[in-house]
Amino acid sequence: MQRMFMRRVGLALLLMLAATALTFWLVTAAPGNVAALIAERAAGAGADGEMIAKIADDLGLNDPLPVRYARWLGDALTGDFGVSLRTGKPMAEEFAERIPMTLALLAGGGVLALVLSLAMGIAGAASNGGIVDRVLHGLALVGASTPNFFFAAMLVIVFSVWLGMVPTFGVAGLTSWLLPWITIALFPASVLARVVRVNMQDTMSRPFATTGFAKGLTRSAVLLREALPNIAIPYMTTFGAQFTLMIIGAIVVERVFGLNGVGAFFIEAIRFRDFIGMQAILTLFVVFFVSINLLVDLLAMLADPRLRRPRKA
Amino acid sequence: MLKLDRRSFLATTAGLSFLTFLPRIAFADGHADTLRVAIAGETGDLDLLQNVSTLSSYSAVFDALIHYGPGGALEPGLATAWKIAEDGLSISFDLREGVSFTDGTPFDATAAEWNLKRWMGVADFSWIGIADAYDNITIDAPNKITVKLKRPVPAALLELTIVRPVRFLSPKAAAGQPIGTGPWIVESYSSTETVLVRNDAYWGEKPAFGRMELKVVPDELARANALRAGELDVIGGDWVAALSPRRAKALEGEGMTIVAEPGTATTILGFSPKSPMMQDKAVRDAIFLGIDRAAVATVLFEGYADPTADIFPTTVPTAGARTPVPARDVAAAQAALTAGGWTGDASGWTKDGAALEIAFLVSEESFPGSRRIAEMIQGMLMEVGVKTNIETVDNATMHERRPNFDYDLTFFATYGAPYDPHGSLGASFVTASDTGPDGKIYVHPDLDALVATALETGGDAREGAMQAVYDWLRDNTAACPLVVTQRLWAVNPRVKGFTLPATDYDLPFKGITLG
Repeated sequence: MQRMFMRRVGLALLLMLAATALTFWLVTAAPGNVAALIAERAAGAGADGEMIAKIADDLGLNDPLPVRYARWLGDALTGDFGVSLRTGKPMAEEFAERIPMTLALLAGGGVLALVLSLAMGIAGAASNGGIVDRVLHGLALVGASTPNFFFAAMLVIVFSVWLGMVPTFGVAGLTSWLLPWITIALFPASVLARVVRVNMQDTMSRPFATTGFAKGLTRSAVLLREALPNIAIPYMTTFGAQFTLMIIGAIVVERVFGLNGVGAFFIEAIRFRDFIGMQAILTLFVVFFVSINLLVDLLAMLADPRLRRPRKA
Repeated sequence: MLKLDRRSFLATTAGLSFLTFLPRIAFADGHADTLRVAIAGETGDLDLLQNVSTLSSYSAVFDALIHYGPGGALEPGLATAWKIAEDGLSISFDLREGVSFTDGTPFDATAAEWNLKRWMGVADFSWIGIADAYDNITIDAPNKITVKLKRPVPAALLELTIVRPVRFLSPKAAAGQPIGTGPWIVESYSSTETVLVRNDAYWGEKPAFGRMELKVVPDELARANALRAGELDVIGGDWVAALSPRRAKALEGEGMTIVAEPGTATTILGFSPKSPMMQDKAVRDAIFLGIDRAAVATVLFEGYADPTADIFPTTVPTAGARTPVPARDVAAAQAALTAGGWTGDASGWTKDGAALEIAFLVSEESFPGSRRIAEMIQGMLMEVGVKTNIETVDNATMHERRPNFDYDLTFFATYGAPYDPHGSLGASFVTASDTGPDGKIYVHPDLDALVATALETGGDAREGAMQAVYDWLRDNTAACPLVVTQRLWAVNPRVKGFTLPATDYDLPFKGITLG
């Protein structure tokens, strides 16, 4: 078990390394000149060719790509992700200020997605082809197909502009989180509801469910006591995948609701060609993706002994 | 089995009904003395020497020696009077007495000298004429200084009205502390909002309300919704939180007050001076005549733009005599091509075996909405027989290709007040100027000489020298001015007496009262 754990962690670290190398190459291959942008920030309209060339030389931008990546990686491992070209602040400071906001968004959205998906999936399975099942199926399809920026705009118009129940932007107490959480939870909740529904349907045809019915249990009781624990592994792995994808939703949701998180910063970094900011945030995304997936893998291994068995040829 | 029975249906319906009857959360309450203004990006620490903080908040906190008034009028700021020597080599200023920075430090000749020496004669600020020509400063009296120059700078007084670095910081301010003499004091700033409180010791007209909250809302739709919901009082301003014409039209229909006034920046179609096709004046003439500027203003800007054929609007000083805006004339455009040796018709033109086909470089990131304008122009030129290929690129590519004149046609905009006309002329129409990624609108040796003369000429002769530049540009069809976009703001009905500030780099607060 311990060996398998170490192997998974090692693979995750290798994956992070490969992903950061790829993003570094992609960011540096993008059109645009970092030196010109820094010169423009320092001197505005006074930025000239000589200044740009000097900055490029000072920053080592003329060095080969592998040398630049190694230098960047060395700094990043010590927590130095460089200075944002847009704000002029170290990225470590930007992270310290913005990560809590993004984490609050993801955590709230994750909890909402968890509760909604289980409620919708179980209610659908309990209805089993009835009106509730069909309505929830339709809602899940609509939820999975609706772009989050459109859904967010609709929520704001109804609940903020028309009803005045929650603020349109920013953070001002718990109510201000409701719409961002609902928006970011929409897609994962819809997908996960279908996962719960379909897996429960499958589980209900297993012998132990039949035994439950034979013992005189109601359908609801069989669903909750017998079927639900048995969908834990597929649900957990799908939830992990969906939760990591919520960071992509955060990019849109934070901007629409004026939340000062990492996602909103990423959009501005792209707009202003803040290569240093982009690289730092992409690295953060990579670490988030790989870590969550690693955690889910390990939890699944703990929950299911079959996953702990070594593979045989 | 779970059932949707009558009881659960009624309970759900009652719950939803209760939610809709919840009292509106009074987001607008508790703000009777506060103006809430949207800003698209965080203000930052308002460092006067760095090009990082957004430009819109400086003038609320810091004063300049001279302030920019309507139409470019020079108004007393921290200087109550000024005098340029006859040879143009020195400017003396009478400094306002009894003024202190908000940390209590007195504003006097010593503080003024300390501030001016931070950027005058410093290489990073050589793009400012007076900084480049700076020789020395003398303190003539506790409230009188003289700036001596190596050569005359006719636009020096206008340059002293720009946003930064010319404004005055307390010499005792620590790094990152924005302490000025202006009407507002920075109470706090973060990446989500900046809070300003009234400077009750301000030397000028004090704002009628005590607090201003600058809320960072990057998304334009979110800003509009916040205005609708009463969470913001004012949105708009190109350099504050831009409001698009289409959104302004929508808000107008919903009871918001839209304030639109003539703008100071011109949207210009630039011809690459290095493109063989664009070096042919007949082609430039055909494009100039083939575009319906009024239609662009009406359709794409919802009427919030004014068609123009001049480089600068009359809202900036010495903008020159007005050129009548030409009506679109396809026949005249085709006649210009024929006169230039081209053969063909609406289906296409050729000259010396080469087809008339031009590359139109567009970047939505550099210039939001430009793709739509380009498509409209493409359609208009198609009727003339000029085939136009639109190349949509990102901001970075635009920044690389524009300085190299790697295009046939592309969009430019003049800087607007308070930087014009000397700012755009000196940067965008001079071969030797280094504008970095911004590129230049048009350059030519003959034009270089005219611009140099215009920028060096002061006094009564200045207007004529500037007009010579404008005449050359017009006679050679060196650029194709399209429209002057209007300054657009949307205001919540509780805001009374809203008047636009002198430039799009200033926050609106003068004359405003809150209902």
